[in-house]
Amino acid sequence: MLPLSLLNAAQGKPMLVELKNGVTFNGHLVDCDQFMNVTLREVYQTSADGERFWKMPEMFIKGNIIKYFRIADSILDQAMAEQEKQRAAGRQRGGGRGGGRGGARGGGEGGRGGGRGGPPGRGGPPMRGAANGRGGGPGRGGPPGGGGGRGGRGAPRQ
Amino acid sequence: MSSRGGGRGAPRGRGGGQANDRGEKKKRESILNLAQYVDKSIRVKFMGGREVTGTLKGYDQLLNLVMDDVIEEFENGMPTRSLGLVVLRGPNVVLISPTDGSAEIANPFTSEQ
Repeated sequence: MLPLSLLNAAQGKPMLVELKNGVTFNGHLVDCDQFMNVTLREVYQTSADGERFWKMPEMFIKGNIIKYFRIADSILDQAMAEQEKQRAAGRQRGGGRGGGRGGARGGGEGGRGGGRGGPPGRGGPPMRGAANGRGGGPGRGGPPGGGGGRGGRGAPRQ
Repeated sequence: MSSRGGGRGAPRGRGGGQANDRGEKKKRESILNLAQYVDKSIRVKFMGGREVTGTLKGYDQLLNLVMDDVIEEFENGMPTRSLGLVVLRGPNVVLISPTDGSAEIANPFTSEQ
């Protein structure tokens, strides 16, 4: 369960947000982004000492000052179910994700091949297959003999 | 060059895939539509605890704000001070909320907590 997945699943749900300075906000999550910036609606703000309270119709909070979100347990279950669905859908698609990973691995193999300088035949096809969308990869894999230096560079990266 | 290109290309491919997956579902725009607050009174809190209220005049994607008739307020009861027309730097902004409908209230959680 990824933090951002859970946060996305909590959209529209009530939650508590505590900031690093101890101020807390109770409200319904409207939206969030990859930085954990959030917008809330029907918000009750509580001061850090818990003595004072404010009501606000809506607000935007930057993600980088948030300490944590408190979310109802039930939303975790929903998010888990949703994640399973998405995984299943992702397996069926296969193309997008598999292609991405294949690309990365293909790059690694290409690097090794270059270092050995041996098997241009081997190094070639997987690179082409993997890097279809890219065009960067084949350049590496293509000239394994000449690319000894490049291969050497590639190897330490792994 | 080719080796560099390949090295950069691979991570980009990964990142791009994720972005696309999300991009299709969700808009990539800001989750906050500041246009709704233009010429309205808003309260802005900053890193470090300072806080101002004023009329929003303009903004950008980084959350830099142009505000007019700005008044800086302090939580500890110090007198407010008037700043007038200011540019608020986005990275320091931590919270934005409209002034309309906001008010200090009695403890709303007395029965629950």
